[in-house]
Amino acid sequence: MKRTPRQWNLAGQMPLISLIVLCAATALLTNRFLSPFNLTNILVQSSIMAVIAMGMTFVIVGGGFDLSVGSTAALSGCIASMVMLEAGIAAGVMVGIVAGAAVGLANGLVIAFLNVNPFITTLGTMVLVRGVVFLITGGAPVSGETGLPGEFIAFGSERFLGIHYLVWVPAVLLAVLSFVMHATPYGRRVYATGGGREAAYLAGVPVRRVIASTYVWCGALAGVAGVMLAARLQSGQPTAGEFYELTAIAAVVLGGASLQGGEGTLYKSVIGVFIMIVLGNALNLLNVDSYWQRVAVGAVIIAAAAAERLRSHRSQ
Amino acid sequence: MTSPAVSAEDVTKRFGATVALDGVDFDVAYGEIHAVVGENGAGKSTLIRILGGVHRPDRGVVRLDGEECHFASPHDAIAAGIVTIPQDLRLVPALSIAENVALGDLPVRRFGPLAMVDRARMRAEAREVLAQLDFDPDPRARVASLGFAERQLVAIAKALRRRCRVFILDEPTAALEKREIARLFSVLARMRRQGTAVIYISHRLDEVVAIADRCTVLRDGRVAAVAARGAFAVNDLVGAMIGRLAQEAVTAALSAGEPLLEAQPDGAATLRVRERELVGLAGLLGSGADRMIRGLFGAGSEPTMVAARGDKRRLASPADAIAVGIGMVPGERALGLIMNQSVRDNILLPNLDAFARNGWLDRDAGDRLVAEVMELVDIRPRRPELQASALSGGNQQKVILAKWLARRVAVLLLDEPTQGIDVAAKLQIHALIRGVVARGGGALIHSSDLGELARLCDRVLAVRQGRIAAALDRPASLDESTLNNAIGG
Repeated sequence: MKRTPRQWNLAGQMPLISLIVLCAATALLTNRFLSPFNLTNILVQSSIMAVIAMGMTFVIVGGGFDLSVGSTAALSGCIASMVMLEAGIAAGVMVGIVAGAAVGLANGLVIAFLNVNPFITTLGTMVLVRGVVFLITGGAPVSGETGLPGEFIAFGSERFLGIHYLVWVPAVLLAVLSFVMHATPYGRRVYATGGGREAAYLAGVPVRRVIASTYVWCGALAGVAGVMLAARLQSGQPTAGEFYELTAIAAVVLGGASLQGGEGTLYKSVIGVFIMIVLGNALNLLNVDSYWQRVAVGAVIIAAAAAERLRSHRSQ
Repeated sequence: MTSPAVSAEDVTKRFGATVALDGVDFDVAYGEIHAVVGENGAGKSTLIRILGGVHRPDRGVVRLDGEECHFASPHDAIAAGIVTIPQDLRLVPALSIAENVALGDLPVRRFGPLAMVDRARMRAEAREVLAQLDFDPDPRARVASLGFAERQLVAIAKALRRRCRVFILDEPTAALEKREIARLFSVLARMRRQGTAVIYISHRLDEVVAIADRCTVLRDGRVAAVAARGAFAVNDLVGAMIGRLAQEAVTAALSAGEPLLEAQPDGAATLRVRERELVGLAGLLGSGADRMIRGLFGAGSEPTMVAARGDKRRLASPADAIAVGIGMVPGERALGLIMNQSVRDNILLPNLDAFARNGWLDRDAGDRLVAEVMELVDIRPRRPELQASALSGGNQQKVILAKWLARRVAVLLLDEPTQGIDVAAKLQIHALIRGVVARGGGALIHSSDLGELARLCDRVLAVRQGRIAAALDRPASLDESTLNNAIGG
């Protein structure tokens, strides 16, 4: 039996091509872009957002939406820091990630089993969780009398095989989670549920459980990102992660995922993150006024989404 | 005869490789009711969509009052006075009756540059046109609060208010009871007297005989017969409609074996599907036959109790039904397929567990199975990576069947399996269903096409108001009107 070759269509590689063009253009305009310092900086900046965007990809492929990831990351970062000061690094990291997964589970249960709109539900948790973060921290950064444990802070700044620990995290997660999404029955069920919830249900997919599970992934990964952020900031910051949800959603859409659900790929979402970060970096290096930067980033998001719609419209 | 109001001359329409209409001539005069009959896929819908401006013919012309016309959209056709009432009526349930009647042409009061909806006039106008139909509701009531027959009157009132000259009704009686049909017929008779040209699409031949002045029979996209009132009877129409399909049909019944599936879907009568048995469910739109099928698949609002090969089982979800060897082909293809996914992924979806090796999917084994079933059910083209949405309706339906054939389900539940697909695909699907049954499986089919049930099934259960009202053995020996009576038409 001949295996059908994966089709390498140009349109499907738009995110990667855009990223390459963007990098090439920036490199031509400024010689500072390709400096090792700048490239490392881009990788480290992208790492935390990439972890959040991967979780967001699960939710969006499953046909949902999650606005609460920024607040969840802050919650996990603060809880991890507080637990770490009392019970050690391992316990802190664990509890921080579990806290994120718990927020995701709450979102998932409300959305999948009570049928509340995901936009409203996660808008609610976004505000609610941020409130909880301020309540448990009293609004002050969490770093204890003597600061967080040294090994934890080292994780946020040091390298392994020449690459920052912070960059290893999304690299490993991308490999493992891509496998989950593409090569396991569970992953195919996520795609099926997002592509057509009722049709998936009628094919025997437990759609409610699948939908709830995507939010658990998203929450847990936001938790991981929160812990990484705490390591980088050397403290649990109650105000951390604001607007992360918007950047993450924009990155996933730039990566070609459909907000209708059923379409999207983890590695393309990560490319979307790079596009967002490189764009910001390029505008900085080119000394574009920061107000204009916002205008440019917003316009790029809309243009990418509109291009996607036009293309899928024509192919039908 | 008077000159026609609207006519189609030598109209041909292709969709991809399928020829939906092939050189069809058709016309209707003012003050005439012209019925169009034919099986699913014969081309009725395509014809009225061309007249109504939805599709443009590939060849041939449409004339209105003798003038050639080229409608770019349904709006153009409506503006020219050709109004279609589709089966689903296209009303806005959340708006009031008066608003629905006026929609698209609201009466306004002007204050200089400002325009305000004149609600009083809107209500008065709605009341006036509805009175012509002997229907006197509160025009402020929401359409959502009406039953189907009353909604249909609202849709007709909307057409009347537009002073339509050509009125097209698509299967208007599919969901109506006898009394409601009588009222609809008196409305149509009045429109005829007032000089409106009426095109009436129906499956139900006794009605056509009762009301139509002329009848055109379509078969495989061509005109198989045209006859004037008095020159046709139900049996002639059946003969013309079925044509060569008559030879396809009525295979010798296989000897039915052990019961595969038993249930009491209405809480009283027992529905039983045995090995090597094809059971039909006949019922009007809204009779609950489609809900019965969903219920047996565990997809109803409440869990169902069934006996699968004698084992009592509670089906709370489709997953439970699939686990006991039941598969379902839903009435809408969009519910049977994930449209933005590949044929391969769709076929594998209910079969994922069979290919899991230590938690990951054995892609090669999956590919082999997909290739095998695509060959078996003849899905064209044989490209498993193609998106389901890119296939023709008939091929999409074959993919849905392939999902369940790949699982070798014992019982196949089918809701309108051949609606809206061409004749060639329809014959293939009939053959596939027969194949399942010949291999010892059972099938339960709901179809609004009584001729299809009569030819295909060993037994037909008539469903009325959610209940099994009658059971008819060897339906092929019965004629259509007996079946019609059984379902309460």
